[in-house]
Amino acid sequence: MRKYSLIIFLLLVFAIGYTQNKQVLYDFAGLPQTLLLNPGAEVENKFHVGMPLFSQVSAQGGFTGFSTYDIFADNGIDINDKIKAAVNKYGTAEFVAFNQQLELLSGGFRLPNNDYLSFGFYEEVDFLAKIPRDMVDLFYEGNTVIDRQYSIKKLAIRAEMVGVLHAGLSKKINEKWNLGIRAKIYSGVFNINSKSNSGSFYTEEGTHNIYRQHLDNVNFLMQTSGVIFHDGEEIDGSYVKSKLLFGGNLGFGVDVGFTHHYSKQWTITGSILDVGFINNSKNVESFIAKGDYQVEGVQLSFDPDNPENYWGDLKDDFDNSTVLDTLYKSYISFRPVKLNGSASYSFGQKYDDCRFFTDRGLYVNKMGFQLFSTVGAVHSYIAGTLFYERWINKYLQAKLTYTADPYSFSNLGFGLSTKIGIFNTYFAADNLLSLQNIYDAKSASFQLGINFIFEDKN
Amino acid sequence: MKNIKINKITVTALVILSLMGCTKDVDFNQLDDASIHTTFISTLIYLNLTAPDFLNDLNQEIRVTSDFIEPPITDETKPYLEKVEFTVITKNTFNRNFKLSITFYDALGTPIYVLQPIINVPENSSELTTIVEIPKTDIPYIYNTKYFVFSIILSPSTDGSVILISDTSKFDLKSSAKLFFNYRKI
Repeated sequence: MRKYSLIIFLLLVFAIGYTQNKQVLYDFAGLPQTLLLNPGAEVENKFHVGMPLFSQVSAQGGFTGFSTYDIFADNGIDINDKIKAAVNKYGTAEFVAFNQQLELLSGGFRLPNNDYLSFGFYEEVDFLAKIPRDMVDLFYEGNTVIDRQYSIKKLAIRAEMVGVLHAGLSKKINEKWNLGIRAKIYSGVFNINSKSNSGSFYTEEGTHNIYRQHLDNVNFLMQTSGVIFHDGEEIDGSYVKSKLLFGGNLGFGVDVGFTHHYSKQWTITGSILDVGFINNSKNVESFIAKGDYQVEGVQLSFDPDNPENYWGDLKDDFDNSTVLDTLYKSYISFRPVKLNGSASYSFGQKYDDCRFFTDRGLYVNKMGFQLFSTVGAVHSYIAGTLFYERWINKYLQAKLTYTADPYSFSNLGFGLSTKIGIFNTYFAADNLLSLQNIYDAKSASFQLGINFIFEDKN
Repeated sequence: MKNIKINKITVTALVILSLMGCTKDVDFNQLDDASIHTTFISTLIYLNLTAPDFLNDLNQEIRVTSDFIEPPITDETKPYLEKVEFTVITKNTFNRNFKLSITFYDALGTPIYVLQPIINVPENSSELTTIVEIPKTDIPYIYNTKYFVFSIILSPSTDGSVILISDTSKFDLKSSAKLFFNYRKI
C-alpha cells in the first residue's frame, strides 16, 4: 500500500485540477519575487529578506474541460445528465493542471558594484495531464461504435515535486538595459513523465467471427522516479524533506531575463525560466508498451486427444506481437520552459493630485501587455494579458489584469502590494469574475507573501 | 482630500472583492447518485466444423462434442458488472439439429451455472442470431468460474440417417459478448 501512497497523492492533486502564469505578480511593484519571474527585473532595494515560509505561497489550478459547478450544481438536474452534458462538450483533448510553490527562504542584497544578488530555496509541485476525448469516450460509452478508433495520441502526463536552490544576479548595464541570470539546483522528490504516445484501439467487423479487435501501432512510455518503491522505504515527511534537500534526483537549470527602457516611458521586459533538466536515477521504474495486435477470437478445435490451452496460446500470440516491459534505466527529464514578455507605457506625475510624494520612479501609472508561454514536450500553453498598474499612495501599489488563455477569455486579476517602513506584504489573485461563484471557475490562482525590504538610501 | 477618499473606497472595495469568494449552491452528495453506464464488446469463440468433427475414429457419430477454455477472471470488475449479453450467430447445412450448451465450472470442477436458454440450431438453417443473457443476479457465477465448457449436442435424426465422413455440410458459429458496466459509488 505504501508504494502507492504517492500515486494516491497524485490522484488527489489531479482532482484539484494549472498553469504557471503569474501575470499579476510579473514585474509588479518591484517585489523581490519578481526576480523569480524575471532575473533581469529592476529592484531598488539595498537588501531584502523574505519571511521564512511566507515570502511566497502560491497555488494555481485549472481544468479546461468543465467546472465543479457544471457537475455539482444544486439545480434539480440529475447529476448523470450533467455528467453527460460535460462529456458532450469535452474537446478533442482537455488538460488538467496544478502548480504549487512555497518559498522557504528568500533573500538578496546589493553588491558593492551595484549588482543585486538574490537567492533562496523553494519547493514546487507541478502536475499536468492532457486527456484525449477518445479516452473519455472509451470510459464513458465503451467501445460499441464499430470502426471508431480510440487513440492515445494526445495522452500526456507530467508530474513532479522538486526542491530548488537558486541564486541570481540582476545587473544594470546602463540607463537603458538591465540584465539578469539565475542558476538553479533542482532536487527531485518524484517525477512522472509520459509523452509522444501513439496508437489506437478499434473494433471492426470480422471475417471468421462477428468482430475483429485491433491494437494499432501502439507506442506508450511512462517514466517514473520516486514513485514506486521495492526496498521498503518509508514515504513520510522526513522522506520528502530529505529528497527536497538534495537527497533526491539532482538537476540544474538557468533563468535569464532583461529589462529594456526603450524610451523614457516605454519599457520592454522578457525572461526565459527553467531551462534545465533533472537526472532521474533513484527509484526509477518506467513502463513501455508497443506493437500491433489483432484478434478475432478463439477457434475451438473440439479435439479431446489434443486439448489446447486456448487462453495461453492467445496470450503467447499477444506477447509475441507486442512489447510490454518495465525499465529500470535512469532518464533525463526536462523542466517546462516558461517564457515571459511585456511591453509597458508609464505615465502620470511623480507628485499626484493629493500632494503626496510617490517616492518611487517617475510615473504613477503603468499600462501594457504581457505574454506568457510554457513550452514543453508534454504540453505548450500561451496567455496574453493587458494590465494597468498604479501607485495608489506612497504605501500602496495595485495592478489590474485581463488575461485570455485556454481556460477563459474573461480572466480578471488583481494585485496589491503594501510597504510600510521595511515591512512589505503582497497579494495577487486572478479569475475575480468567478468569485461570484468560485465553483464555476475553470482555473484560479493566488500568490501572497511577506518581505522585509530595506531601501537603498543613496 | 476628495481623491484620497475615492482611492480608499476603491482599494477597500477591491480588497473585499478579492478576498471574498462567493459560491452558488452545490451539492457534493449528488455523487452518491452518479453512475456511468459503459458497454464494452468483446469478440469470443468461433467454430467451423465439418463432418469429421462429429465422428470418432470408427466414423461413428459423437453425440456430444465438447471443448473448454480457461480464461483468467479477476474480481476487479465484480462490483460494476451488471449484465453480460452473448450474441451467437449460427449457420448449419447439416440435415441435423444441434443444441449448444455453455456450462461454467468452479475450481473444484463442479458445474455451477448453465447458460440459459440452451441454443437450438435447426437443421439446414441459414444464418440465425441468438442473444443469450446472464442477468445481474447470476453475475457472481462468472467470478466463481474456473473454466467454461462448450458442448455441441447432436440431436438424433428423424429418418435414422447418420453423418457420413463424405458429408460436405458445415456448422459455423460466431460469437461476441457485450459487457454492461455500471460505475458508481460503492
